[in-house]
Amino acid sequence: MGAGKSQFTEEELQDYQDLTYFTKKEVLYAHQKFKALAPEKVGHNRNAKLPMSKILQYPELRVNPFGDRICKVFSSSQDGDCTFEDFLDMMSVFSDAAPKAVKAEHAFRIFDFDGDDMLGIGDLRQVVDRLTGSQRLNEGDMQQLIQYLLEEADLDDDGSLSFAEFEHIIEKSSDFSKTFRIHL
Amino acid sequence: MSGGERKKRSGDRGHGWEEAGAEFYQESYPAAAIEADLQQALQRDPSHIATLLPSKKSRVATTTKRVRHEPRTTLRRRTSTRSRYATNTVRRMSTNIQDAAVSMLPDLSENLSNEERTWEEIMQIKAMPVCMAQKIQLKNQLQSATKLRLQGFDQLKWQRRKAWQTFRVRAKEAYSKLELWSTSLKRIGGNLGMGIVAYFLFIKWILFLNLGLFVIVLVFLILPTILLDVPRNETCISINDTNTICCPELYWNKSQDFQTFMNFFQGNNLFEYSLLFYGAYSSSTYINREGNFRYNLPLAYVSVMSTIFIASFVAIIRSAVKGFRERVVEGEGQFYRYCNLVFGGWDYCVNNEKASEMKHKALYTEIKVSLESERFEEERQNRTREEKFKLCMIRIFVNVLVLLILCSCGIFIFYIIRFSFDRAYSEGKAMDQPSSNDMTIDTIDQIFFEFLPYISIVLLNIIVPVLFRHLISLENYSPPFVIRLNLFRTIFLRLASLAVLLSSFYIRIVKDVDEDECTSSLRPLCWETFVGQQFLKLYLTDLIGHFFMTFFINFPRSFIGKHSESKFLRYVGQQEFDLSKHVLDIVYLQTICWLGTFFVPFLPLFAIIGSFVLFYIKKFACLVNCKPSNNIYRASRAHSLFMLILLVCYVLISIPIGYSIVKVSPSKACGPLKGLDTSWSLIVATFSQLPIWLRSVLSFLSTAGFGVPAFLALTLLLYYYYAVSMANKNMVAVLKNQLVLEGHDKQFLLNRLSAFIKQQQEQTKYHQDHNDFT
Repeated sequence: MGAGKSQFTEEELQDYQDLTYFTKKEVLYAHQKFKALAPEKVGHNRNAKLPMSKILQYPELRVNPFGDRICKVFSSSQDGDCTFEDFLDMMSVFSDAAPKAVKAEHAFRIFDFDGDDMLGIGDLRQVVDRLTGSQRLNEGDMQQLIQYLLEEADLDDDGSLSFAEFEHIIEKSSDFSKTFRIHL
Repeated sequence: MSGGERKKRSGDRGHGWEEAGAEFYQESYPAAAIEADLQQALQRDPSHIATLLPSKKSRVATTTKRVRHEPRTTLRRRTSTRSRYATNTVRRMSTNIQDAAVSMLPDLSENLSNEERTWEEIMQIKAMPVCMAQKIQLKNQLQSATKLRLQGFDQLKWQRRKAWQTFRVRAKEAYSKLELWSTSLKRIGGNLGMGIVAYFLFIKWILFLNLGLFVIVLVFLILPTILLDVPRNETCISINDTNTICCPELYWNKSQDFQTFMNFFQGNNLFEYSLLFYGAYSSSTYINREGNFRYNLPLAYVSVMSTIFIASFVAIIRSAVKGFRERVVEGEGQFYRYCNLVFGGWDYCVNNEKASEMKHKALYTEIKVSLESERFEEERQNRTREEKFKLCMIRIFVNVLVLLILCSCGIFIFYIIRFSFDRAYSEGKAMDQPSSNDMTIDTIDQIFFEFLPYISIVLLNIIVPVLFRHLISLENYSPPFVIRLNLFRTIFLRLASLAVLLSSFYIRIVKDVDEDECTSSLRPLCWETFVGQQFLKLYLTDLIGHFFMTFFINFPRSFIGKHSESKFLRYVGQQEFDLSKHVLDIVYLQTICWLGTFFVPFLPLFAIIGSFVLFYIKKFACLVNCKPSNNIYRASRAHSLFMLILLVCYVLISIPIGYSIVKVSPSKACGPLKGLDTSWSLIVATFSQLPIWLRSVLSFLSTAGFGVPAFLALTLLLYYYYAVSMANKNMVAVLKNQLVLEGHDKQFLLNRLSAFIKQQQEQTKYHQDHNDFT
């Protein structure tokens, strides 16, 4: 901890505490975790930019089917490479203290593969494919599943989910806020 | 020429339309940016207009790109954040219009924001989906902006809020340090997902519940008994006196010196006279020398016990209601089944390959099963009559079989108890106190017989559920129903064994004791202590049973299962973490704890230790012995299910406890309630000592004059809430329909609009070409 502390001024820590859902101690702990991903690089420059492949070595992200999407969404340069501040943002959103609305906002962006601000059929397909992993649903099942999904959630019948519709589902799903978290 | 004129007109019209459009947008949206976007998008692709709708736009404004490009947007976004998060996020769409309106106001309002507002805004930056550098920039911007200083009381209020915030952060930090088992929970979550974590949180909840209960007992019962020098009761002149006053002497003098190590296990003698059990508490009132402080111990005993029951009830209800509220918010939960599955399916805390592999597989099967169950439903409707009849017969047969098993278990336990009690206690008396340090075969024999009923109960609890699980597969129910049915059958097994135990106690205890005798032949001198000892033994046996099963049977089994080639051995060795069974284990222990607390005030302490140990036993069971389950356990559902089971057990055991308080007479030889007809009569006696006004108020409360109107009022209230909820439900349906219709309307208008624009563009182009040509 002592070594970590010297890397940040009190002012910076206060900033981080104000701007994330973490306390100062947790920020330092997050930095330790970040440092563990690439000790030399981060030891040299505490806010070093790590390539996505390095970030994906974080255990929870490594096995997460949406790991690369998460990196891309939180990366400030949008290519998946993350600085410590990006990493901190990520962990803050995934922490217990972050409210549902914030989590929903980011989840939407994670699921929105093509970046058109709508979850279209292609996006849903990709989400399901990544969820089931190595096994694939056959075409019939997939179509039926997507049809059910749209029936449940697509209120205005335009064949894709807007953010408002997505937030509406998340509001009603208590599973989401329980599972959409990573403990530091 | 005419073409030119038309062009001009159409241009005019177009311009007019644009103006109207701009006006329209100005109401809801800041103009300049939109205008540009609109033009651009229209030139590119008219059908793309849908993406420009305000409802879609509101999100675009939040994404990073825009914020970075134009500093003006950041300001706007900030103001909108303020009001958005001040109101509810659900109303996000509707508030957007107001946000935009706010942002349209002159900068005056920006300057007018005072310190408190600025501070609030800074606190809300963290909710914005922008990267840290921008957040910091925003914060600095906010801090450096001119702002009003707060005066007087407002300043004070703000300071207090700030202090409170800092205090909360500190408290959170301290709490997270104290938090029990957080690393264990993280590991379990990483391996098995949040559903199983919910189970372990439940154990933790039980632990804290017992902690609370024990603190109550300690403060109001145990400490006063130890600290206050309570006078001994009336001394009796000669032991052989027939008067019941001498019963305590008789009891206390009986076998005081009979204390060996082995007795520790028997739970009698060594501890019989200690504060562990009911018998040792005094029945008199403490009065200090000045006479201004009284502590009525019997009353304290009864009140503490009732407080414990009420407190546990309140705790369960509070926790269950939280789950229930979530269920209600979820509303028609099963209508969002697929969305739940897809968007909330992945446990983000899973952190190793094996677990994630299992998770993928589990999700795959769950999706498959859900899709198939829809077909299963159809198939069920198409079953032929013959098949239906056959299935019905099988189900009836299985249910009868289950009932038979339950009954025979009950009878078996009953006879075992009778047999072993006869052996253990009558022989013990007949042996007439063997020399104390002699570990003869007889003493071991006796201990065996004393524990025999509990060992057999625990064995039955282990074996019979396995039988049930195999029986239910014959019945061909849908998978979720199988889990629930199995759960309730097993609950009945466990409660039935408890009921048999209680009734065999009852037979021994409830015998008319003559006025001038201390006890009857079968009834122990201090039956409460006797019963307490039995509960303590049951509790310990059950706990040791779990320990033994987990480490000495299931662990080798799983070891064999993992390292053996033979298919049969693998089948025997592999275990899944069957959540319902493990939930029952802990609920059962808690039930025993509630039942026994009246007789063993220290039982909550045992329960604290017990649940602490159980946490580690179960952790070992799920991390080492079991492979991740193929079933998906929903974290949200699981919690309310646990609470429901706990509540069922609580309600069921409150019946015998209530009965024993009202009907069974306490023993005459020991304990705080000696000499009373029933425990209830103490409460009656206390009531008669209350001041008259209070008494009359209370007795009025119990008359029909109060009861009937109160009942009616409650019924009305209930009906009112029912009606309101029905109306709300109806309203939700109506609004949802309306939303769909609006969606259709929007779609329709958009199509018309884009067609119109396209047509116009073509026209302009045509005219342009035409003009060029001429």
